Amino acid sequence: MSAGPYNYSYIFKYIIIGDMGVGKSCLLHQFTEKKFMADCPHTIGVEFGTRIIEVSGQKIKLQIWDTAGQERFRAVTRSYYRGAAGALMVYDITRRSTYNHLSSWLTDTRNLTNPSTVIFLIGNKCDLEAQRDVTYEEASKFAEENGLLFVEASAKTGDNVEEAFLETAKKIYQSIQDGRLDLNAAESGVQHKPSQPGRNNLSNDQQANKDNCAC
Amino acid sequence: MLASHQDVFNIVQAKFLAAEVVKSIHLNVSVVDGPSINSDRILALVEYNKSCALFVLISSRSQPISFSDLSIETVIPIDPNFSCETEPGAGQHYVILIIKYKQSRFQYNIEIGKDSCNFAAELIKSKEGSSNTNPNNNTWLEKYFGTMNNSNRNSDPVDQGELVVIRDGMVQGQTAINRESMLKYQLKLKEPEFTQKQEFSIFVGTWNVNGQPPTVSLRSWLSWDENPPDVYAVGLQEIDLSKEAFFFNDTPREAEWQKFVMDGLHPNAKYRLVALARLVGIQLAVMVNNQHYRYVKNVSFDTRGTGLLGMGNKGGVAVRLELHNTSLCFVNCHLAAHVEEFERRNQDYKDIDTRINFRKSPHEIKDHDQIYWLGDLNYRITDLNTSQVKTLLQRSEMNTLLKVDQLNQQKERGRVLVNYIEGDITFPPTYKFDLNSDTYDTSEKARPPAWTDRILWRGRGIHQVSYRSHMDIKMSDHKPVSSLFMSEISVVDPSKYRKVHEDLLKKMDKHENEFLPQVTVDQAEVTFELVKFREPQFKEIIIANTGVVPAEFEFIKKLDESSYCKDWLTIMPFCGSINPGEKCDVKLEVNLETDLETLYDILVLHLKGGKDMFITVNGHCQKSCITQTLSSLVRIQVPIMHLSKEELASALNNQGPIYYSVPRELWLLVDHLYRHGLRTRDLFESCALHEELIRIRDWLDFGSKDQIPGTPQAVAETFLLFLSYTKEPIIPFDLQDSCVAAANNFENCRQLILQKLNDIHRTAFLYICMFLQELLKYSNDNGYDAKTVASLFGDILLRDPIRNSKPQASRGKTNFVYNFLMNDLSSSLIPK
Ligand SMILES: Nc1nc2c(ncn2[C@@H]2O[C@H](COP(=O)(O)OP(=O)(O)OP(=O)(O)O)[C@@H](O)[C@H]2O)c(=O)[nH]1
Ligand SMILES: [Mg+2]
Repeated sequence: MSAGPYNYSYIFKYIIIGDMGVGKSCLLHQFTEKKFMADCPHTIGVEFGTRIIEVSGQKIKLQIWDTAGQERFRAVTRSYYRGAAGALMVYDITRRSTYNHLSSWLTDTRNLTNPSTVIFLIGNKCDLEAQRDVTYEEASKFAEENGLLFVEASAKTGDNVEEAFLETAKKIYQSIQDGRLDLNAAESGVQHKPSQPGRNNLSNDQQANKDNCAC
Repeated sequence: MLASHQDVFNIVQAKFLAAEVVKSIHLNVSVVDGPSINSDRILALVEYNKSCALFVLISSRSQPISFSDLSIETVIPIDPNFSCETEPGAGQHYVILIIKYKQSRFQYNIEIGKDSCNFAAELIKSKEGSSNTNPNNNTWLEKYFGTMNNSNRNSDPVDQGELVVIRDGMVQGQTAINRESMLKYQLKLKEPEFTQKQEFSIFVGTWNVNGQPPTVSLRSWLSWDENPPDVYAVGLQEIDLSKEAFFFNDTPREAEWQKFVMDGLHPNAKYRLVALARLVGIQLAVMVNNQHYRYVKNVSFDTRGTGLLGMGNKGGVAVRLELHNTSLCFVNCHLAAHVEEFERRNQDYKDIDTRINFRKSPHEIKDHDQIYWLGDLNYRITDLNTSQVKTLLQRSEMNTLLKVDQLNQQKERGRVLVNYIEGDITFPPTYKFDLNSDTYDTSEKARPPAWTDRILWRGRGIHQVSYRSHMDIKMSDHKPVSSLFMSEISVVDPSKYRKVHEDLLKKMDKHENEFLPQVTVDQAEVTFELVKFREPQFKEIIIANTGVVPAEFEFIKKLDESSYCKDWLTIMPFCGSINPGEKCDVKLEVNLETDLETLYDILVLHLKGGKDMFITVNGHCQKSCITQTLSSLVRIQVPIMHLSKEELASALNNQGPIYYSVPRELWLLVDHLYRHGLRTRDLFESCALHEELIRIRDWLDFGSKDQIPGTPQAVAETFLLFLSYTKEPIIPFDLQDSCVAAANNFENCRQLILQKLNDIHRTAFLYICMFLQELLKYSNDNGYDAKTVASLFGDILLRDPIRNSKPQASRGKTNFVYNFLMNDLSSSLIPK
């Protein structure tokens, strides 16, 4: 009887950033609803999604903030970086400009989050191989040079979407285990919650054991 | 369909962090002396950063499909406190692994397979590697102690560290539903979508052995049918009538009888014991055909003594299990004896039925999909004596007898085994025989024969194939009874199950996201038409709650900003709550009081516990002479709106020639008042109509051949506005403190004006003061005295950096201005 997913132990805050139209909202939607939104309107604001996942037997609630990519909102969306435990930085493999802007997104992320924030680079729309404008190799090199995790994914087919979100969580969780991430720091982006029902189970079982012994 | 070792390995690894490497696993492990002997444990050897631990995992299904099927039962660090050894197990295929950790001892029955060697080698390797590691290296394990499914009796080998708890203030919109039980429930509802019915043969047998030790083969009872059954439930009563058995609930007969039972099972199949439960002399064994063993899970049992002190010479034992996706419960009971005690039997039944509790879901007998109730129920035949019964039996009038069978009677009256079904009885009463014979009781008591031994069932999809007694087993005063059932078991189709499971999870995640507050705003961009000085405009946005929970909204500050909107904007209301399906009109009011080219702001509309929406506010502004600097205005010869872009730009940058000593607009206003307003009573106190002020503003900004529109009072008010909204006050902010300090002495004030104020501001200041001196000459008509005027203009000429809605007269500022109202200013115009 593991604790139900509502009885999560941690909350991780994620942000999704990147140029407009790269598919941030579609990635979030794919992750939370396992569906693709073919005509997704521009995000004007910051969308919010949650999902509970399991890492190492721990239930973790992901709180995901999908930001508006339009340049004019850049100043405002900067407010949302604070306290993110994970940052998914997205570009569109069919539009080189979105890749070229990564360094500026990365600068913002580095400036506005804390050093233990896990940054995951996602080359989205990998289903559109024919229109590819950015090679896997160069992006991979960029990721490596900057110490980022990297996958190419498709919000349309769902390829690697789950992986990107889960790997980020694993990495964050690893940081907690290693003590690199201080849970007490207000800006860690991680909150720990006790798993109350687990305790109840424990006492029930002790009860059960006692009974078993008696007969 | 069988998952390979590698598949399970991958599933086990998924249970851990990537850095926590699963080195080796062992399947088909059971806990020695555990409540069930189900081999649903998996041992996993996991290494993290050179520190190893042994994990005992329980799989909720015989073949884990995903890592969420696994729960962690025990975590044993492999450090110098760890030791292990093996002992031969039951039969040549088993070995017992004994693990000691400090005071704790764990024993596992391991079915030896081809991976066992690997596992043992890895285990020993990590044990050797651990001798030079620090036992405190186990911090990575702490998290797992919290998740431990503590169903064994071993205490945690390591103290549990409490993790820091941070309260969750961020997330709302959560519902307190227990997701797991919800999932289970939903899965049950969808069962037909991922299962198919498959018939399993279930053999149920019951026999009261009258305290005899086993001596004869049970084949003719247990292997009666041609084909080997899939499941056996064999219930015995009175296996031991000794006092020892009664008081200590311990008897060697258990093992003896169980051996005979096992040996008696159908020779054409191999069987494995699922559970063996016993209460004194009441014993119940459930076996399944080997090939089904892996589909058995959630095995549990309970016993309940009834009768005298509830100690168990009478009572019941029950075993439950899940076979594939169907829950089965077998109850073996021995109810109170004696003909007249049928009420007691009813009561015993009720006690067993309601008080047996398996301590895991489903807890009670009644909650199972299929229930098989067997045993020596001990109901007799009423109202007939022994010879009458025997006569009827000889005449084969069984039906007459069955009508007076107490069980049938009590059942009909709803007193016992309600909703249970019993097949037609076609065999003679199974009690009471002389030992080793087929003769009914010839002793002195000569009890009338009775159908004491019965098998009933309840639940869907159960079809009785046969119901019979076995006369050739004669060693007891009872004959064994058995029934063969063909029962529908729902068998999970793993791929369909995965899909349904996933869909449900998806739905539930979606559900949670649906419980987030949701609103729409009818416009993401609000554009104001040409915005003019002090001419407020309104726009409305409509926030509609499209979600399912009340939405609390609030406009929030952006990073590094002091307010949630710019000072030219007012939002009403700036926070509120909207119920699902309802709307809220939010009024945006823009009021321009500064010199801006355009209006631009991004408002952040925040939903508590939900998303944020950005609302962009735009607008173009119209220039006005009001809100400019004096130094720009003196460079402008014509109404401000007549300037070309370039001319305006250069003037605003204080470039180009200075045309006037005081701004043209200031002169126009003062000149008008000079000519038309000096005698106007309460000149500065009027509240002119808003339109009047706008007309005068436009007259100044656009120019006109006509007279200045409006009453002297309106012009006077425009004059005050003009002075109040110049980009800098007439006496600049940085000079104001010195002015207040000098206020008691006119000469000091004069020096300040001469030396510190620039020419343009000084000229304007003195120009205004001279006009006010002129005004005071008409005190009789206009009603003003110097103090009042000084106080009024002190606050305007030396206005505060932050605009107060109710300016408080400052004595210092008043005194400063007063000096310039009371003294001759002609000398001040020329620097000394
Ligand atoms: N073929 C393909 N199209 C995609 C994929 N992901 C997103 N799109 C499409 O790309 C467009 C933009 O996707 P969005 O998710 O709205 O992009 P965004 O990054 O959220 O954009 P902003 O909200 O403006 O920042 C949509 O029309 C999507 O249908 C993908 O993986 N493959
Ligand atoms: Mg978007």
